[in-house]
Amino acid sequence: MKARAGSLLFLLLVILFQGCAFSRGTLGDEINADAIAAIRKGETTKAEVINLLGAPDRLVQLNGRDVFQYYRYDAKAGSLLLIVLNFTRLSIKSDDLFIVLNQSGLVEDVISSKRTDGLKFRFWPFGE
Amino acid sequence: MWTMRNRVVFSCVAVMVCISLVGCNVVRVSLNTTLTPDDVAFIAPGQTTLTDVVTRLGAPDSIGETDMGMVANYRFLDLQYSRVNFGWLAKPWTPVDPDLIFSRTGLGVDAFQVAFDPHGVVVHSSFQRHLSGPPFSPYPF
Repeated sequence: MKARAGSLLFLLLVILFQGCAFSRGTLGDEINADAIAAIRKGETTKAEVINLLGAPDRLVQLNGRDVFQYYRYDAKAGSLLLIVLNFTRLSIKSDDLFIVLNQSGLVEDVISSKRTDGLKFRFWPFGE
Repeated sequence: MWTMRNRVVFSCVAVMVCISLVGCNVVRVSLNTTLTPDDVAFIAPGQTTLTDVVTRLGAPDSIGETDMGMVANYRFLDLQYSRVNFGWLAKPWTPVDPDLIFSRTGLGVDAFQVAFDPHGVVVHSSFQRHLSGPPFSPYPF
């Protein structure tokens, strides 16, 4: 009975999602939130940052200070393919982390944001 | 109550709408959330700090050095593409695969730039370009 209901549900889903396409792409590794939380301003050293997060994706010089930049991109595309009328929407968002190190090699500031949490598959290309 | 005239008008409108949508493709690509002047209205030069900006807008996409401090860039992109192939209308009646394509792409690339002094206080902020959204029109002329 359960197998039959499961088959019917699967068939219904297959029929409902005919002509839909879902695609996803990512660039870079997930930035570890626990590692960010472990970084202490004025205490954590450059070597410890590298140990926690790995080598930065970019190294920027900022008024005599080093800034480590880590980033990750996530892209989700939804397509509705109705043969004669097709809609596609691709949304890309990034997670960015900047760690500012002072001239002594200690963490001075941590700037981070995680935008990819709110990233959804969208099909409708109009409006926001 | 549907009269015969109403039915004919409704049918004609439905057929015209269907024909206008035949062979239509609409694509949109967005990178990060588009910032509007309202989103950045809270920034007051000389008062707002880097922490305030990051709290409201998130981390920037890039940070650079300036003579007076640093500059943060928030980049975003909104690409819109639409295409209509009128060749679809002739497909049922011709042995070949005809194409008559009108397409148009609007690429909206912009960035919001915030400059800070060495103490992390905003010196000035501005959009690099002032975009009005590209139209969703397949008509290229």
